[in-house]
Amino acid sequence: MTFSFIQILLVMIVTFIAAIDQFSFLESLYQPIVMGPVVGAILGDMNTGLIVGGSYQLMMIGSMPVGGAQPPNSVIGGIMATVFAISMNITDPQAALGLSIPFALLGQYSVILVFTITSPLMSKADEYAKNADTAAIERLNYFTMAMLGLFFSFVVLAGLLFGQAIGETLTTALPIWVWNGLKAAGGMMRFVGFAVLLKVMMSNEYWGFYFAGFALATIVDKSGLGGQALALIALIGFAVAVYDYQTNVKMKQFGKKEVSNDGI
Amino acid sequence: MMASNLATNYRNSTPAAALDKKTLNQMAWRSLFLQGSFNYERMQAAGWLYGIIPGLKKIHTDKEDLSLSMQHNLEFFNTHPFLVTFVMGIVLSLEQEKSDVATIRAVRVAAMGPLGGIGDAIFWFTLVPIAAGISANMALDGSIAGPIVFLLMFNVVQFAVRYWLMHWSYNLGTKAIEAITRNAKEFTRAASILGILVVGALTSLYGGTTIALTIPNGESPIVLQNILDGILPKLIPLGLTLGLYWLIKNKNWSAVKCIALLLVLGLVGGFLGLF
Repeated sequence: MTFSFIQILLVMIVTFIAAIDQFSFLESLYQPIVMGPVVGAILGDMNTGLIVGGSYQLMMIGSMPVGGAQPPNSVIGGIMATVFAISMNITDPQAALGLSIPFALLGQYSVILVFTITSPLMSKADEYAKNADTAAIERLNYFTMAMLGLFFSFVVLAGLLFGQAIGETLTTALPIWVWNGLKAAGGMMRFVGFAVLLKVMMSNEYWGFYFAGFALATIVDKSGLGGQALALIALIGFAVAVYDYQTNVKMKQFGKKEVSNDGI
Repeated sequence: MMASNLATNYRNSTPAAALDKKTLNQMAWRSLFLQGSFNYERMQAAGWLYGIIPGLKKIHTDKEDLSLSMQHNLEFFNTHPFLVTFVMGIVLSLEQEKSDVATIRAVRVAAMGPLGGIGDAIFWFTLVPIAAGISANMALDGSIAGPIVFLLMFNVVQFAVRYWLMHWSYNLGTKAIEAITRNAKEFTRAASILGILVVGALTSLYGGTTIALTIPNGESPIVLQNILDGILPKLIPLGLTLGLYWLIKNKNWSAVKCIALLLVLGLVGGFLGLF
């Protein structure tokens, strides 16, 4: 089955929106239960879309994007599984999902690329901020969202035009070590963000609290409470901060009294 | 590096007029695009700034103050996307009061940290499984109501939480401001302690970098990561953060230069199978 120009264009537009939506906007349009029927309707078989999207959604419950982890991309997974189910007349949703895996991997690679490219762009954003150029910050936000949308649209376009084989070809175009390297570099870049924060927040008297926070987090994480670690540590930090605040306020008041007593 | 020579106080220290409902709602709407410029270095920073621009423009009529506020609001930021308006309300109340930069920064960092686990628990572990469970079965029966029910359930909760948190936390912040300004110096110190504790925790929790190097040793090869974990778990994230801090502070490295170094390190490491 071949698709008309209009169908291809509509699927690309829907993909563009869903790609952005996986991180911004409603963060729910991109889910397979929505994308399945929408793509199905465009390709003239909404029922298959509902079944593929619904099955994929049920499979996904419990494996949501949590804590910055990157699951094989479900946006492209849902869209391409629907495309293959309809174009190749596959009735088993599992089989259609299997065919979409190389494309979902390409989606994941696109995310890595966009998050990497956007990192050095932040120094551009610093310049805009320095000039108090609010419009430029807004444009930057739209630009990076559009970049992610376009990457995804083109992955889906490749699948629509050249079929399932192109997925394999593209995933192996760059050797795997490049992706591993980019992913590792991406995982390390947040330390730059932390280092800059430390630079502007730190004075010598605070170092102990930095290491205490690090130690507490490591302990709480090891005890299996990774998701709640920050909330728990904030509670401990709150106790320390309130105690410090009250002590210092009392010292200030005491100091004032001393001075006034001296005055008498 | 811009952050190195930021002023510590706003030039115009007169508190600005309270933000009207329309501006607060505008920021709640913009909070939907918090992750628009998401990146590995500062995560949601640019999206965060994008979200609060309407409020900042109203508060800082002095262009240099607006510039200062925009610059410090572009530092590392990451919180739960659905709960971000809570941080927005508190920070905007401090901006409005023209608190000093160190206070606003410390409160921002302390407030953004703990929300992640709470948001995941509410949205990804509770709301999505329930909504998806109900609606996916409708879809499997061929009913178009499936996706519609899913979108309605999810977004009614999402929008209610975003808008309500925005107003609630802004009012909370404005009410607390009097107590804060009475002992401003002491408050900044306490908030900084909490903020830095959170940065320390983030270094461990967000730091997933490990090394996949083994030294052949007959029957029992030596796994380098196990040795490092034996010394101190998360030693690599801690070492990298402190190393980068040293480069930025003492060697005047820019963030871009640090990113370039890490890219090279990542790619070379990837090629050698180090990660």
